[in-house]
Amino acid sequence: MADHHVIIDNLVKTYPGAQKPSVDHVSFSLPRGEMLALLGPSGCGKTTILRMIAGLIAPTSGAIRLDGEDVSSIAVYKRNMGMVFQAYALFPHMTIARNISFGLEMRKVGRAEREERVRKALDLVKLTGLGDRKVSQLSGGQQQRAAIARSLVIEPELLLLDEPLSNLDAKLRDEMRDEIRDIQARTGVTAIFVTHDQDEALSMADRLAVMSAGRLEQIGTPREIFDRPQTEFVASFIGAGTVFEGKVTEHGLAMVEDLKELRFVGDAPLGSPVKLMIRPHRLRLLTDAGQPNRFSGTVEHIVYRGQTLTLNVRCGSRLLQADLPTHAGMLPERGSTVTLSVAPEDVTLVGQVSP
Amino acid sequence: MSAAATAPTATSSTSAASRGILLMLLLPGLVALVITFLLPLIWLLRASFTSSTMSAFGGGDLTTQSYSTVLFDPFYWRVTWNTLVLGFNVAIFAVVLSYPIALFLARTESRFRGVLTALAVAPLLTSSVVRTYGWMVILGDRGVINSTLQSLSVTSGVIKLTNNSFGATVALIEILMPYAILAMLSGFGRLNAQLEEAAAMLGANRFKVFTRIILPLSLPGVLTAALLVFVLAISSFVTPRLMGGGRVFVLGTEVFNEATVTLNWPLAAALSVMLLVLFSSIILLYQRALRALEA
Ligand SMILES: Nc1ncnc2c1ncn2[C@@H]1O[C@H](COP(=O)(O)OP(=O)(O)O)[C@@H](O)[C@H]1O
Ligand SMILES: [Mg+2]
Repeated sequence: MADHHVIIDNLVKTYPGAQKPSVDHVSFSLPRGEMLALLGPSGCGKTTILRMIAGLIAPTSGAIRLDGEDVSSIAVYKRNMGMVFQAYALFPHMTIARNISFGLEMRKVGRAEREERVRKALDLVKLTGLGDRKVSQLSGGQQQRAAIARSLVIEPELLLLDEPLSNLDAKLRDEMRDEIRDIQARTGVTAIFVTHDQDEALSMADRLAVMSAGRLEQIGTPREIFDRPQTEFVASFIGAGTVFEGKVTEHGLAMVEDLKELRFVGDAPLGSPVKLMIRPHRLRLLTDAGQPNRFSGTVEHIVYRGQTLTLNVRCGSRLLQADLPTHAGMLPERGSTVTLSVAPEDVTLVGQVSP
Repeated sequence: MSAAATAPTATSSTSAASRGILLMLLLPGLVALVITFLLPLIWLLRASFTSSTMSAFGGGDLTTQSYSTVLFDPFYWRVTWNTLVLGFNVAIFAVVLSYPIALFLARTESRFRGVLTALAVAPLLTSSVVRTYGWMVILGDRGVINSTLQSLSVTSGVIKLTNNSFGATVALIEILMPYAILAMLSGFGRLNAQLEEAAAMLGANRFKVFTRIILPLSLPGVLTAALLVFVLAISSFVTPRLMGGGRVFVLGTEVFNEATVTLNWPLAAALSVMLLVLFSSIILLYQRALRALEA
């Protein structure tokens, strides 16, 4: 932790005139070369954190440490960080090559070296030979690549990306997702990117920091975030699912409303309250009897999605969503009664249980 | 079937109908333009080729006499030169003085931005005649500046600030600044806070951000403002006339003199055509420059 490359320490930002802080005591850290996703709903303070790290706005309190040194009082133009803006912010009065060489010119790099590094940066983002184009002559995806090249050519301490894929259409988005991941891995730059899209975060980042209303909810690997959500917010924000509240009555067994009893895997002391979540794709249509965690209910709604079938099944007062693989002969009807089951190890225990 | 067959006909007939409506809507404006602009212009051109004020209304022989006066009399060369100098001086100072104001108004995030913009252009609500008299009160021989300097015993005599081209230039600069501000504001569309932030992230300090990003991106607006102010300045009449006290000779004042004092309408018309030619060449230059900037 202490030897981490980037340490964000109790960062707070209250905008002038605002009642509540937009960023409230957020701390996290990144080892060198890691890609971290800041994930959260719109307005939760992600961009604000990124802009504080970049030096574009001053924190109300807290520190930003690079290799142990607090950089929060260093001016933005001396921080040596790369930023890819949501709308790319390429300079419209310069060619792509001039855009990329701008940071090198500011660093008084000699002309020959500049040209060499610009060429390499263009190669890195697969824009070879397009350096003489004007910004308006590039497509959205190409502009994005140019913006990435421009921020990497200065060999920044830290690469910051604000919603890098949000301005691209769906197909390009998938392509750039892999591309950005690949470029980051090849250059080994430590990177933080902001997104409100969980798929993007799960597929691109080494670790995720999930935020809600200015606070850090949980930080961890995609797997940890998905399978061991520490708060109900994280559980419901990452992936769909239905949360049930109950009380532990036996080791690995809880009494919950609507489903009566639910078996799960995890340490929760007897008598403690628990929150358990059932994810739609982990439900099965019951085939053999005698399995634990069986629930019968009425099918209220069916959506056929090709590969999967989404059922909304009413169990007591709750609607349970189940995403089932489709295969021949499996098509429950609306209004019919089905029995669903979920393996105890597939029930998500939400949060750390305090005795 | 029949519905499908008639559908295209229906749409093309509506577009023809809407084109008809468009023409009808444009017609009053077009007629007004022809009557108030095109016809007088043609009449002006014709008048410039007549031999006397009487024949300027029609009839009589056509002659190029007025043009030879305008082109070969050194006095009119001086007048044209004075006009261009006045135009350039006013354009340069008005643009330089308005630029920081316009830049501030374009970039500020203050919630008073609308009010401040309105204040900056509010002088347009007052007639330029009134504002010219205002400047006479300030710069006149017994005006605010001279009487203050004298009562402080800084100077004993009068400093001539009016009845010369200095006074005309100063007053025109102030009178035309709101136009410059407005033109710049509308021409600053490519300025964008995020571009400045991107430059800063790449290592540009405030000075570099200004010279490398803000200045080049604001040049089209500056150029438009300069053109507008220049054109308004070289065609101005009231301010050079009043501030110049009859001692500043520019094309605007000479057209007035020839038309009302000397009653030589053909010459007045030829001088007006001269102004028109100046306008057109300046506008051509401007368009060249703008294209070069945006290329
Ligand atoms: N310049 C600003 N002035 C005042 N409030 C702001 C400013 N920028 C953002 N905020 C507020 O701070 C909160 C977080 O904003 P932001 O960091 O942009 O969220 P996100 O990027 O997660 O969508 C929001 O409630 C927003 O209204
Ligand atoms: Mg944001």
